[in-house]
Amino acid sequence: MSALRRLPELVGPAALVVACALLGSGVSGSLQPYFLDTLVKVSIVVALYVFIGNSGVLSFGHISFVALGAWTAGVLTMERSAKPAIMPGLAHFLLVTNVGNVPSLALAAGVGAVAALVVGLPLMRLSGLAAGIATFGVLEIVNNVLTYDQSIGPGENAFSSVPQTTGIWQAAVGALICVAVAFVYQRSRFGRMLRATREDPAAAAAAGISIYRQRLLAFTVSGGLAGFAGGLYIHLLSLQAGSLYLDLTFITLAMLVVGGSASLLGAVVGALAVSGLDSFFSAATNGVDLLGWHLTVPVGTAEIVVGTLMALVLVLRPSGLTGGRELSLPRRRRRAGAPSAPEPAA
Amino acid sequence: MTAALVVDGLRVRYGAVDAVRGLSLEVGRGEIVGLIGPNGAGKSSTLHAIMGAAPVVGGDVRLDGVSLLGRRSEDVARRGVALVPEGRRIFGELSVEENLRLGLAARRSRRNGNGLERAYALFPVLREYRSRQAAALSGGQQQQLAIGRALVAQPEVLLLDEPSLGLAPKMVDLVFETLVRIRAEGLAVLLVEQRAQRTVALADRSYVLANGELRLVLGPQDADDTERLVAAYLA
Amino acid sequence: MTVVGFLNLTWPTFANGLALGGVYALMAVGIGLVFGVLRLVNFAYGQLIMAGGFALAYGAQWGLPNWVSILFCFGVVLALSALLDQLVFRPLRTHSPAVMLVATFAVAFLLQNVALLAFGPLGKSAGSLALLNQPWDIGGVFVKKIAVISVATAAGCLALLQLLLTRTPVGLHMRAAAMDFQTARLLGMRANRVIGGAVLVSGVFAAVAAVMLSVQEITVTWTFGLQDTIYVLAGVVLGGLNRPVPATLGGFAIGFASGILGGALPSSQSQYLPSFLFAAVIVVLLVRPNGLFTRGGGAVERV
Repeated sequence: MSALRRLPELVGPAALVVACALLGSGVSGSLQPYFLDTLVKVSIVVALYVFIGNSGVLSFGHISFVALGAWTAGVLTMERSAKPAIMPGLAHFLLVTNVGNVPSLALAAGVGAVAALVVGLPLMRLSGLAAGIATFGVLEIVNNVLTYDQSIGPGENAFSSVPQTTGIWQAAVGALICVAVAFVYQRSRFGRMLRATREDPAAAAAAGISIYRQRLLAFTVSGGLAGFAGGLYIHLLSLQAGSLYLDLTFITLAMLVVGGSASLLGAVVGALAVSGLDSFFSAATNGVDLLGWHLTVPVGTAEIVVGTLMALVLVLRPSGLTGGRELSLPRRRRRAGAPSAPEPAA
Repeated sequence: MTAALVVDGLRVRYGAVDAVRGLSLEVGRGEIVGLIGPNGAGKSSTLHAIMGAAPVVGGDVRLDGVSLLGRRSEDVARRGVALVPEGRRIFGELSVEENLRLGLAARRSRRNGNGLERAYALFPVLREYRSRQAAALSGGQQQQLAIGRALVAQPEVLLLDEPSLGLAPKMVDLVFETLVRIRAEGLAVLLVEQRAQRTVALADRSYVLANGELRLVLGPQDADDTERLVAAYLA
Repeated sequence: MTVVGFLNLTWPTFANGLALGGVYALMAVGIGLVFGVLRLVNFAYGQLIMAGGFALAYGAQWGLPNWVSILFCFGVVLALSALLDQLVFRPLRTHSPAVMLVATFAVAFLLQNVALLAFGPLGKSAGSLALLNQPWDIGGVFVKKIAVISVATAAGCLALLQLLLTRTPVGLHMRAAAMDFQTARLLGMRANRVIGGAVLVSGVFAAVAAVMLSVQEITVTWTFGLQDTIYVLAGVVLGGLNRPVPATLGGFAIGFASGILGGALPSSQSQYLPSFLFAAVIVVLLVRPNGLFTRGGGAVERV
């Protein structure tokens, strides 16, 4: 019966996603983009969580996998007639190949996973600050290459003429897939082994757990999810290399930190809460009506609010809104007090 | 003999582990007091607790009647308690003289001019190597440096954490002789050691610690009573 | 007139390289000092420089004499630096270096967007010091005044720093704290003073960098200093994060290379420079990850 016991851990986050989707499908056309964006962000943050939450190691570089996934899906689904104009230097193979919506997402996930595997092979030996800086380097490299390499994508140009197939249901299903994969992973013995290395590296190593291998597995899975999320993203917005770089890294990390980096619920809650705030204040730059008041804020307010929130959470409550806890059945006595924000595991 | 340092019912706990359970001891001026016991007995923890570098959950530590608990390490040092840490912890990349100068931070008055003189007088080899990188010194010389560094601050209490560890016999002799000289100058010395026999022979009295608790107090006359020593360790 | 033929390197470009190298060397010190005593990588360092840049811009706008503007710049940077230390660095001292990096990352974005809000996307002109961008005629070669002044200032600052570190007690403590913080405390080192001192010097260098950069950039925008910080960070990691001299050299090297290559190489070849740079950083981290951070233990000791 232990599988059933754990079900709230999956159902909670999934229900939140579905609720968001339902809400999003009911609002007016001008508000719907915010919900779509939120749902894709949930996918990204869950991808981040699969690695950071389970291993306790900071990765600054996951958005590079999102970018690679976006590039893959975008290049392969862009209207063939538009390709030469937007991507003049494109390699011939990419010029002539087009795939459908779902295959593009699958390929995006595949590219993300492979890239993560390649990056992870050397990098998973690192912990703490070294891992943070090294993964940041990966972000820089990928951004640099994607910005200037015209043979694999639009370079500095924005992706356009990509079919906008990420509607409310694709975004929701995508997020649910990510949540489900994250749940299956963390309940699997691999996920549990990795979490053991986070709690007590010495004991885990003594028990024969290979920290390196478990981290590499989580990194690869999370890279795949990130790539998948990138595929969802490119079918939603006309993206550029610059929009898949520091700003997105910052906001997705903020979402994870604020929600609570040690739990799946935290990832989803954080993404929804912070995205809600961000969307609200972004919309408010054009004026919103709230409870009878008309509110207009200057550009940049959203980022200030999120940044302040993130800093406050780190200082005052590092374990985030959820305290790193998952949703569980009330009868069960769970050990309270999960670990806090990412710390070096070994 | 006024007790300079009083440890009163000290309890130290690291997480779920009680390292020290209600230890009480006293060190007076012009005394060497030994603290011996097997590995993990809580000896180092006691010294760290005195220096404000260990989680104390009960009891008190007093210097001349004033409690040291809750103070930061640097404040304890500035009040006149100096520690010679386990493993010496000298700054290998700094010169010998710079290492000594670091000890001056805890000095409470500038009365006695060049504080480094005391270290050089006690350990002439330090004067000879004053400009050399500390990492170039031998183990025994580094130990002299560590002790000298503690003394330049002119402390009232000197704590030593296993100074003889890894030293050649001649060096151990030197260290112990130095302690006798320091005692003669009126310092209160608390010596944590693994070498039970030599410590018991040297010290005015020795506390035997095992599993965080005080087992026995021995005097120099017990130094040759190996049975008693062993029994105390294994109890 | 070329110095090195194939690189199309001219004296002015060489001088620019030296100038940028000098600025980056100062920034490297600022980042490295604070890392040494706090084990904190201050991602928001660029924003201190940005604040200084805006202070200079306002000074120019208010028609203040240059030296007053510069003083104002120093004041603003040091105040902001102290504020960051109190509000962010101190509360976070017990956390791991990785968490501290994330926190300063958040602060960097926060400050950037505050600047966007306050000064708009176009920024302000730090105009009046632009006179220094005029060239000097040295033996028939035109070298920008600011290049010479940059190099001289950087060299002077570094020399003063070296004096501070080797001849003063607080400097000695800063070096010791970077090696073994806990033991230094046990010897009586006043932790807060030493940390405060490092933050202060780091702030001073940020202010100097702000002055030098704003002369070259002319316009101060909300993104001022961010890319520079990223490159300097790479240089410092390459040099060795916890060793002051190599870190400074690392910063200098990056700045010098950027300055030269920016002017000497056609852009098609220098585009991928960041990739090579960060690939080198990753290699260094893999080869000696411990060399960066093991001195003196973890984060908890700083409480």
